[in-house]
Amino acid sequence: MRHILVTGASRGLGLSIVQHLLAKGNVVIGCARSKGELKHENYHHFEADVANEEQVQELFIKIRKTFKYIDVLINNAGVARMNAFALTPFKNMRETIDVNYAGTFMCSQKAISLLRKSANPRIINMSTVAVPMNLQGEAAYAASKSAVESLTRIIAKELSSFNITCNAIGPSPIATDLIRGVSEDKIARLVEQQSIQKMAQPEDVLNLVDFFIQPQSKMITGQVIYLGGIS
Amino acid sequence: MTHEEIQSLVLTAIELTNQSREKAEHVPVSTDTSLFGKQGHLDSMALVALLIDIEDMLQDQDIHISLSDERAMSAANSPFKNVASLVAHISHLLEGE
Repeated sequence: MRHILVTGASRGLGLSIVQHLLAKGNVVIGCARSKGELKHENYHHFEADVANEEQVQELFIKIRKTFKYIDVLINNAGVARMNAFALTPFKNMRETIDVNYAGTFMCSQKAISLLRKSANPRIINMSTVAVPMNLQGEAAYAASKSAVESLTRIIAKELSSFNITCNAIGPSPIATDLIRGVSEDKIARLVEQQSIQKMAQPEDVLNLVDFFIQPQSKMITGQVIYLGGIS
Repeated sequence: MTHEEIQSLVLTAIELTNQSREKAEHVPVSTDTSLFGKQGHLDSMALVALLIDIEDMLQDQDIHISLSDERAMSAANSPFKNVASLVAHISHLLEGE
């Protein structure tokens, strides 16, 4: 049974990932700022804000005590607030960077010692097609995910001696809470720019999660895979 | 933890490091050992592995500190230069606990 830690586990894509991994027989450790409502014998929920260093530290102390090791860390926790660059409040930009980038940074760093004890250790980060598409209205969000992509590539190099692979998934638009505030027109225009002009489904992301965590993917690291044919 | 206990823990961690190295590459288990830098026995990733092992051993004793330091890669002031400086660094961090 693999031990898999998923951040941002209580809703949206994170919840889909958790349910999928549970269905495959894994032990899933979820963390979110809110309480976990999912009831499953192999699901263990912890409340923590990934942007808060002390809470992340506490989270990993508890995980170490309870589970001893983890096989996979999925840095899914993220916030997205669409706004014109000129109108984006500094506070919102800061929060976006703190959750999306700093949260991924801290969780990955704290996870190293737990991942080292795994036979097939993996880190999976979440990016977005907003990075290669340089989408207007997503200056803070795309920049935070661009930082996540750089982090992914550098972690891949630095942690390869521990056999830890680190990759990222860049979903094209999926109907989740994260894009709830974006107009239908804007989403439609975005999808039109993709090679595959369809909205993605959570299953498309789950397929990549399965791909990255399988033992046969041990030679795949530092990669960012986008959905929808964006490159 | 006393100075001796910290020193003993660091030397145990070096022994652990040696378990995954060829005999010719063994790091001397001694208080005089240079760890990182010009005469050091460890490259940056081996140093990271050693520090993670030490953090792990401290956590087993319910001591939760991070050994990361902005001077880590500094040639002149790195607290990871040798066993003595590493022991002093850990001791200093524990005093702040």
